[in-house]
Amino acid sequence: MSHELISKKDLLDLTGISYGQLYRWKRKNLIPEDWFIRKSTFTGQETFFPKQKIMERIDKIQTMKENLSLDELADMFSPTASSLNLTASELISRGIASETVMNFFLEHTGVSGEFPFDQILNLYMLSSMLESGDIQLDEGRMLLELLKEHSKQLQKKDAIIIFIRKLGISSCLILMNGEDVFFEKGTKMVARLSITKCMEELKTKLL
Amino acid sequence: MNANKLGDLQINGIGSSNGGTFNKVQLNGKGTVNGDAECTIFECNGAGVMNGNVKAEKATVSGSAKINGQLTVDEINVNGSASIQENVQMGKMTVAGKATVGGNLKGEEMTVNGKVTIDGDCEVESFKGEGAFMIGGLLNAETVRIKLSGESKAKEIGGQQIIATQEKQALLKLIKSFFPNKLEAEVIEGDEIELEGTTAQVVRGNQVVIGPNCEIGLVEYSGTFFQDKNAVVKESRKI
Repeated sequence: MSHELISKKDLLDLTGISYGQLYRWKRKNLIPEDWFIRKSTFTGQETFFPKQKIMERIDKIQTMKENLSLDELADMFSPTASSLNLTASELISRGIASETVMNFFLEHTGVSGEFPFDQILNLYMLSSMLESGDIQLDEGRMLLELLKEHSKQLQKKDAIIIFIRKLGISSCLILMNGEDVFFEKGTKMVARLSITKCMEELKTKLL
Repeated sequence: MNANKLGDLQINGIGSSNGGTFNKVQLNGKGTVNGDAECTIFECNGAGVMNGNVKAEKATVSGSAKINGQLTVDEINVNGSASIQENVQMGKMTVAGKATVGGNLKGEEMTVNGKVTIDGDCEVESFKGEGAFMIGGLLNAETVRIKLSGESKAKEIGGQQIIATQEKQALLKLIKSFFPNKLEAEVIEGDEIELEGTTAQVVRGNQVVIGPNCEIGLVEYSGTFFQDKNAVVKESRKI
């Protein structure tokens, strides 16, 4: 993960947005508060941003703001669950999960009727990992267990799910706040999934 | 919330109550509410102490109210004195008396005619200041309009449009030496900036007008820059 920072001045220069726009988006919660990093420089305090994240976000806002209002956009970027409820068949028809994955999910979670957003998200993550072939069904069960046990932490910012495998034995873990993680020799990182990213992908698909 | 079925909480004289969900909370005299309170209308006419978070649609503080928690409100008028220990989330706030916020304040519209002290940041869409304010963090609004009276301070001011003006009355000039009307900030950043009577280390913007009685360390501008002859600008550069 890149930790390169960009100063506010350079950011405004590079993206061509105005100071007012940047802070309007911040007030509308389109840009998270903790991306505004304060650092002292020779002219006093300056604001910096994580370069890759903020550039991606601004790019997204600029391309999507023609179709959506700022409030709709804010809803899309917000890490809290949105008020969407869909049934299993609707989710299959919208391509969030295949029928096989859906059956597997229903079997192991006991969700019935309408899916609340956090369950849709879990399903989506399971589906994308299974469909990509990164993990197998047994490991999918492990993932669901993990998601269930730590569902509160997942709503917070920047959680990343990692699957590792060594000598054929696999395990999965959640990484908070994008910290670095190091493994023993011979450990293979099978899959890495950012929950925030999944949430945004999912919301684009559902809207 | 179905307000029809909810009762009112009214304290006249000295009394205390637990919190809860009400239609109307009215404190006349000296009232204490222990616990979180949620209501449609909140009125404090005497000395009220709320030991918990307060959530209301409309709030009026005519006496003195102390909220030892957070305040969430659609519209609030402070005519007396209000002190909120934690964050404030509001739609519209008008302060004619005195208001103190221990945390951050976020909302749509803020009008200061009296005195406001905010320890954290103040983030609103529109900020109108005719009184005095002290903001410990960032004052950020789409439009910031300040008519200077007394001494106002913010660590940083940012916005799309920032205008600070001084009244030009003869009488005020006379008293000015005792009570300087000025605005102080470390950094002022925005797209359009017009300042009078302001002291700042850095002013950064697209169109910058530095009017009379200003003392600025550095002006950085990307568009136009104008400086009044009664203003001191140590350094200016186009970026």
